[in-house]
Amino acid sequence: MENIEKKLREEAKLLLAEKRVDVIIGYEKGTLPFTATPCFITDPENAEKLVWNACCVQNLAKFVHDVISQHKESQKRVKPEDRKKKVVGVVGRGCATRSIVLHLQEKQYDRGDVVIIGVPCTGYIDGKKLAVQIGGEEVLEGSVEGDQVKVKTASGEKSITLKDVLADNCLTCRFNNPIISDIMIGENAPPMDPDHEYDEVGAFENLSTEERWAYFTKEMGKCIRCYACRQVCPSCYCKVCFVEQSQPRWVGIGADETDTQVFQLMRLFHMVGRCVDCGSCSAVCPMGVDLRKFLKKLDKDGFDLFGNRAGSSMDDPPPLSTYKENDKQDFIFDP
Amino acid sequence: MSETKTTEGWEPKIVAIVCNWCTYAGADLAGISRIQYPPNVRIVRVPCTGRINPFYVVKALQEGADGVLVSGCHPGECHYITGNLHARRKFAMLKNFLSYIGLEEDRTIFTWVSASEGERFAQVIKGVTEKVRALGPANKLVKKIA
Repeated sequence: MENIEKKLREEAKLLLAEKRVDVIIGYEKGTLPFTATPCFITDPENAEKLVWNACCVQNLAKFVHDVISQHKESQKRVKPEDRKKKVVGVVGRGCATRSIVLHLQEKQYDRGDVVIIGVPCTGYIDGKKLAVQIGGEEVLEGSVEGDQVKVKTASGEKSITLKDVLADNCLTCRFNNPIISDIMIGENAPPMDPDHEYDEVGAFENLSTEERWAYFTKEMGKCIRCYACRQVCPSCYCKVCFVEQSQPRWVGIGADETDTQVFQLMRLFHMVGRCVDCGSCSAVCPMGVDLRKFLKKLDKDGFDLFGNRAGSSMDDPPPLSTYKENDKQDFIFDP
Repeated sequence: MSETKTTEGWEPKIVAIVCNWCTYAGADLAGISRIQYPPNVRIVRVPCTGRINPFYVVKALQEGADGVLVSGCHPGECHYITGNLHARRKFAMLKNFLSYIGLEEDRTIFTWVSASEGERFAQVIKGVTEKVRALGPANKLVKKIA
């Protein structure tokens, strides 16, 4: 890990110094233990701030899209001959590069607008799991040493196996190495456990309709509609989201429970063939809504029906943007 | 969810979102051929099934429809060449997903009816009405109007 971090800083510094990129999007040390904050580095000297460890959670592709689209918007007011190009460098783990592949397929920006510094990934720590392990106490200090997480709280020190606090999506990750990269740092990481990817979904499918509905309403009942999941999702980049659209108004803004259900249902459904299972939405959710249970189903269906895994290859277009003449149609009603 | 509609005297309300070129014309043919079918269906005409936002289906359910039927041209017969083929993928996912979250599978029904199939249109409406009648009034995802 230290080697990767060191090399990452060197490469980032070089890219900025040679002016091959205008900004590097990476992670810096957070203000609390076990946190890392996304950061934007423009000065080569500041490249030393970059970190790469098991606390880097958010999918950085979101910021790539934000920076590039804001820049493009600002260039609209500039005379064509004076327009500047902005190249964004990004520290890309497997899921972030999948999101970038999706952005490229959806023609959000060009491949030349982004320089990907690929990093191998062995998963990140799920803050909610960690809180459970230490009984919800405040973490005073902490570090990751090999496969052990050392946590210091007011009631003493504790050592936890890293695997017990890794996020669910990391444990069964299929693409923990970058799909595309310009510079690859370090060796490819060992594979995780993708064979059990859909275990949870399969178990849920076997429940009765009423049990599934009860679970859905229970989970969505927690939602306070802060829209953090939407804000953090790299696939949610609509300029005007349907929840804020008022002509027509799709979803009511009151406290009605069905409005919340419909909001979540439709946001989830917008992720068909576009969810890369980066876990950012679950990680930022303040209420701990189990979004992954539903997103993973879309992923599973996308693969079962159309053989597509979101963003897994540049040659594999998003499933809803294409069709095959012999697509499955056993769901079609025939009287 | 607490208040349950009485099934007595209840008639299913079904929203049928149909394409202009095939199913709507099929419904027209059923009409001019004087073929009888249940009056439980409210038809919404759209240019093509590919134009249907999955949100229409969810919104209809939220607004109190007991069932939603989506029908368009048979694959390969789309007026816009491939609209229904794109729609087929969308609705395959939607149907699976709605039943995954716990809605009854028969509340959302997808089918194809061409312009010459007036008889089939009547059969579809009959079939859908029976299916929805068997399920009873919708009580999931339905917004209560104060």
